[in-house]
Amino acid sequence: MSHDAAYWLQKIRALDLPSRIKIMNVCGGHERSITLAGLRGALPGNIELIPGPGCPVCVCPEEDVYQATQLALNEKIILVAFGDMLRVPVNVPKGEPRSLDAARAAGADIRPIASPTEAVQIARANPDIPVVFFAAGFETTTAPVAAMLAAGVPPNLSVLLSGRLTWPAVAMLLDAGKPGFDALIAPGHVATVMGADEWAFVPARHGLPAAVAGFTPESLLAATYSVLRQLLAERPFLDNCYPELVRPGGNVSARRQLAQVMDVVDANWRGVGVIPASGFGIKPALAAHDARLRFPAYDDPARKRAGEMPPGCDCARVVLGKIYPDHCRLYGRACTPRTPIGPCMVSDEGACRIWWASGIREAKVA
Amino acid sequence: MTDTYITLAHGNGGRYMRELIEGTFARHLGNPLLDINADAARLPWDAGELMFTTDGFTVQPLEFPGGDIGSLAVHGTVNDLAVAGATPRYLSLNAFIEEGLPLTQLDRIVASLARAAKMAGVVVAAGDTKVVRRGEGGGLYLATAGIGVRTPGIELGMQTIQAGDAILVSGPVGDHGIAVMLAREQFGLKGELASDSASVLPLTRAVLGLPGLRFMRDPTRGGLATVAHEISRATGLQAGLQQAAIPVRDQVSAVCEMLGYDPYYLACEGRVVAVVAQADAAAALAAWRALPDGQDAALIGHMQPGRAQVVLHTPLGGTRILDELEDDPLPRIC
Repeated sequence: MSHDAAYWLQKIRALDLPSRIKIMNVCGGHERSITLAGLRGALPGNIELIPGPGCPVCVCPEEDVYQATQLALNEKIILVAFGDMLRVPVNVPKGEPRSLDAARAAGADIRPIASPTEAVQIARANPDIPVVFFAAGFETTTAPVAAMLAAGVPPNLSVLLSGRLTWPAVAMLLDAGKPGFDALIAPGHVATVMGADEWAFVPARHGLPAAVAGFTPESLLAATYSVLRQLLAERPFLDNCYPELVRPGGNVSARRQLAQVMDVVDANWRGVGVIPASGFGIKPALAAHDARLRFPAYDDPARKRAGEMPPGCDCARVVLGKIYPDHCRLYGRACTPRTPIGPCMVSDEGACRIWWASGIREAKVA
Repeated sequence: MTDTYITLAHGNGGRYMRELIEGTFARHLGNPLLDINADAARLPWDAGELMFTTDGFTVQPLEFPGGDIGSLAVHGTVNDLAVAGATPRYLSLNAFIEEGLPLTQLDRIVASLARAAKMAGVVVAAGDTKVVRRGEGGGLYLATAGIGVRTPGIELGMQTIQAGDAILVSGPVGDHGIAVMLAREQFGLKGELASDSASVLPLTRAVLGLPGLRFMRDPTRGGLATVAHEISRATGLQAGLQQAAIPVRDQVSAVCEMLGYDPYYLACEGRVVAVVAQADAAAALAAWRALPDGQDAALIGHMQPGRAQVVLHTPLGGTRILDELEDDPLPRIC
């Protein structure tokens, strides 16, 4: 990117804009950069940046986190998971471990990891113990899991997969009509893996401007300028403001590995429900490494409040970009990073957690 | 000594233990005050206030780029004395050694500890070793207590801080935290980054004569943000930090971005955060920048009236609150 943030801000300020424009982002990393750099304060007041479905931890079904917790507590296994998942609360009776972190404190062997290679290392180092890799994430995280499976893994390693695709959630919002936003900033990392073309449906089918952005303030402001220009010119197209890494077709070998070991399946999003063709499932040929098939299902559908959001929690509407984090009644009151009620206040990718970190301490609702 | 690994016999008070103490600890640390046959050391003491502190060390791995648990055990305690305005003089050393630790590694660590002590101008005047059973320790734990001497009349403390005072840091933050993390090889990341572990005595001495010097602290666990938070809480003032002014190495930023860490919360082991009256801020900066470990020293913000919290001002004019650290940071998902 040859121009700096100040350059793009000046270009944006010089535009003759309508009274109110809402631009949605669909990546926790974008929301983090926007909030922590203070872009909202720097942009003209009539431009609203709203976080959308960009937090994989937040949309991971409560049932899956419960299943992982119970597996770790009840089976003689090592459970490995990305660090973000450890504090996500589930619905259990008082006194029972309500997160992987709590299960670990209660004696379960749960280890945070940062990459699939660590899961393989742990499995190799403990050949007599089953190792379950609880892999929740979007395409960016699921692709390395696919690469790991495609390369072949030790027999004692299986995956509890909770992988999700981002674009179907946006498609669902747009198909439902009244999406509540006027333009889209498409996720840079997801597009790096899957290709910018995945997002072409936004302008083509729905007539909304879209631009893929990277994670620096410059790149995000360039994408903001692009979609504003598209709006003013009434000529929506898919712009790529992250050309350093993003290709139209994405990362060919990553996509090939995904297709080799995983199927695209209908999938449940926490608090949202089932979105068609929005999740990854391990192919039957790799059933030996599918933890859902290798271990008993601990997810008891008769369990009280199974799969439900906590009472009063608006995470689902935050995830869908229907409301801002501080419009939730629990925000900053019952729900803080110290005592999170919903997943959006747990993950560093969660909009509530990010807003809290930026210093927004009070809910805007009465 | 011909043994290869530490055994429980090295802690039984008999011949093996004597050989360990003579062959490893006394060999590296020997000085006129450290009489390994005495129960207590006699310490000469010139005029001034005695300052006393203690610290424990459990770092993993035991050796990392830029240091090891031995040098860290010296720097940690020496630095606590130095930032209090004292000249460190004497250390005691407790070593809790796990059965099975290779003696060559112990020897390297004790030699490094001795070098660090010599550089910092302190002597180890008393010590003790214990051997714990395999599985009951992380290879080696160390504890050092330190005695320093301070010229009477030096009044440093958070109670002296006033609105308008400048906040300075002596160099890039987060090096130690990231260097140790990379050395754990947990994340499959490799880097050239070395820990900043060092005695800060030259840095503290360089500014001790400034009348406007209010307070110094070494930002270890919890990092810069935690020190700023402690100052803010104690004074009731707001610590306003300018993000663009805070020195952070590119390697540290890159790892932080990848794993979702915040460099302002990462440990340093050779830096000083100082609060100085604005009138003396330039002199303090100049004094630090003239030293090898202070070349990147920077004025990073000011204490100001307002809500008692730490506010980071971003280059684009945004603000963000640096909260009190709650949990250990965990790597994030993407």
